[in-house]
Amino acid sequence: MRTHVKRAWTACAGALFASGLALSAGAPAHAATAPSEIKIGTLYASSGPFAVASEGQYHGLQYWAAGVNKTGGVFVKAFDKKIPVKIVAYDDQSSTATATTLYNQLITQDHVNILMADFGSVLTSVAIPLAAEHHMLLIDPTGSGANFFTKKTNYLADVSIPSSTVWPLPLAHFILAQKIKRVAIVYGSNDFDASQAETLKTTLEKGGVKPVYYHGVPTTESNYTVLLHTIAAHNPEAVIELGYAPNDIAFLHALAGSGLHFNMTFTIFPGQLLALMEKNVGAKTLAYTYTYPTPPLVAYPKTTLGPNTAAFVKEFTAAEKAAPNFLDAAGFNTGLIMQQMLATAPKFTQLDFHQALMDMSGKTTTLLGEFKINSHGAQMGELLPVAQLVPAGKGVTPVVVYPQDKATGKAIYPAPKK
Amino acid sequence: MALLEYALIGGILYGIFFSLVGIGLNLIFGVMRIINLAHGQFIMLGGFGAYLLARGLGLNPLFGIPLAIAGGIVIGYPLYYGVVPRLQKSQDPEMLSFILFFGIAQMIEAVAVFAFGADQRSLPQDALGSGNIGVLGQEFPDSWWVACLVSVLAILGLYLYFSRTRLGFATRAIMADRDEARATGIDVDRVSAIALIIGIALAGIAGVFVPYLIGSVSSSIGDGLTTTSFAIIIIGSLGNPLGTVVGGLVFGIGTMLMQTYYSSWSNLAPYALLLAIVLVRPSGLLGKAVRRA
Repeated sequence: MRTHVKRAWTACAGALFASGLALSAGAPAHAATAPSEIKIGTLYASSGPFAVASEGQYHGLQYWAAGVNKTGGVFVKAFDKKIPVKIVAYDDQSSTATATTLYNQLITQDHVNILMADFGSVLTSVAIPLAAEHHMLLIDPTGSGANFFTKKTNYLADVSIPSSTVWPLPLAHFILAQKIKRVAIVYGSNDFDASQAETLKTTLEKGGVKPVYYHGVPTTESNYTVLLHTIAAHNPEAVIELGYAPNDIAFLHALAGSGLHFNMTFTIFPGQLLALMEKNVGAKTLAYTYTYPTPPLVAYPKTTLGPNTAAFVKEFTAAEKAAPNFLDAAGFNTGLIMQQMLATAPKFTQLDFHQALMDMSGKTTTLLGEFKINSHGAQMGELLPVAQLVPAGKGVTPVVVYPQDKATGKAIYPAPKK
Repeated sequence: MALLEYALIGGILYGIFFSLVGIGLNLIFGVMRIINLAHGQFIMLGGFGAYLLARGLGLNPLFGIPLAIAGGIVIGYPLYYGVVPRLQKSQDPEMLSFILFFGIAQMIEAVAVFAFGADQRSLPQDALGSGNIGVLGQEFPDSWWVACLVSVLAILGLYLYFSRTRLGFATRAIMADRDEARATGIDVDRVSAIALIIGIALAGIAGVFVPYLIGSVSSSIGDGLTTTSFAIIIIGSLGNPLGTVVGGLVFGIGTMLMQTYYSSWSNLAPYALLLAIVLVRPSGLLGKAVRRA
């Protein structure tokens, strides 16, 4: 009797095992493993020097997630169905040390399906080695430091901002086209600014212009008065300051108070956070300075994925009761790219996610422009033109002055004295 | 040569302002042996006070000075009687104050983020004058001179308080030995409470000029200012408020010289100086000499 029972159990177990094998071999793999929600892990900074930009990016992502969840979630090809999105987010307070711990927590404790970096190169830099170590694709919205993209990788994709190595190309070409010979470059000592400065210097030198002043300052630099005087002693025609928003505010304040005048002054963040910059340094100080205008300050009317820039601005403004800035758009765009990635990746694996992004590259245009990444994960599309901020009413408005095919006006050079 | 002159004059102006930034922290430590880790946050509050007056009410930011003094009284008095006597009774008041004021700093920062958000706020560019004033042919914005003048007046006022008033004498007696001062009949708590009020008010006054000297005020600038203040007061002499002036000048001139000649390392200069000075004179540049006097 005992032998019969034992045989029956063995037969049942064998049958179950065999049917299990048959199921796993014959049926789609997703049937048993589809998660109830897609967990997107990310960080944001509620305080510290990157807070304004980081919160904008996070806000844009939340706006995207709310939109897709209203329609039942994102379509995931690997499971052939829509699945709601859940954002798992922690506050890194602009600290790389805190961010390192929290990225680790997202990967090892929360087991997120998709890992997305916080704003900017500084807070992204610590996520890159962690993601690679855990074989996770890092969706990098706005970390563009050239050092990130030095070798082939399956675990990094810069999706919403061009690599720092290509940012300053239109600026360098504009300077050369204007026949400006004496250029001063002051930059923050971080991946984002230093790699832009290096590209700018190299491109200018190829065009026969050797910068008369080329120096880094600490990322936390907040007083440029003496520095500006030192720069002025080199008699530059153009002064290019490459920094984050707090640096740009301090620099423009110091310039306004110094009584110095340069034919051309360039800063980065008026093109991304124009309202913040106007509020802090005033339209008079910003007038006739140059910047990289980012969407929605420049618009892409034709897209192959998601709303065009104007439609996004309209929808976002209606929903959030405030007009979006570039960081809102970057966060939203990152959501769109992830959505398309999930909709096209045949399997729910990190390598398939990466391949899906590579397949989209060069064939996709969003509200930020052409999406084009290389095998190193660098964004080579979404190029930023050069604009001059010209007085308009009580504020300033960007006029694209380079490249010619995107220009909406001519540069007023040299800048009039204020 | 002109660059050197500019850096030196700029360094002196910047340094005098940073003497004001650090002096309140040193006063509080000198009198109460309390490490006020919320010092930078009090400076930040001063900056936001001036911002509210200027942007909200259209007043000149200089009205932030009486507001900072009022803020010093409103915050300092209850803070002293609520916290300090208990701290003094503990076995290790310095360490306990370190932890307690760290908590206060975090709370102030969180409230500031809640009230003002995380973004930078600036004051009207021309509110302290829109021109430049030159010395030896080197011109600096009016706002720098005003900040320097107010700093000098505040430090001078503190000096006169110490050297000409009964309360000042009592404060110095407490700085020398708290128990002996109490034994001689000095109302240690009352005098210390006034010192805490003065320390916080001086921090608030410095905050009024922060947007002009470092570009903007934001809820996250506090910790950085506390660290800088520590470097300055240790260079000068920990526990000796007037030694802070020397620390501020060393900090200002060192920073501006580095900015002029090797800008990438300008933030390192004050801390390298701090290390060198502490190794050579552990009590700071004015340490022993002034304390004995």
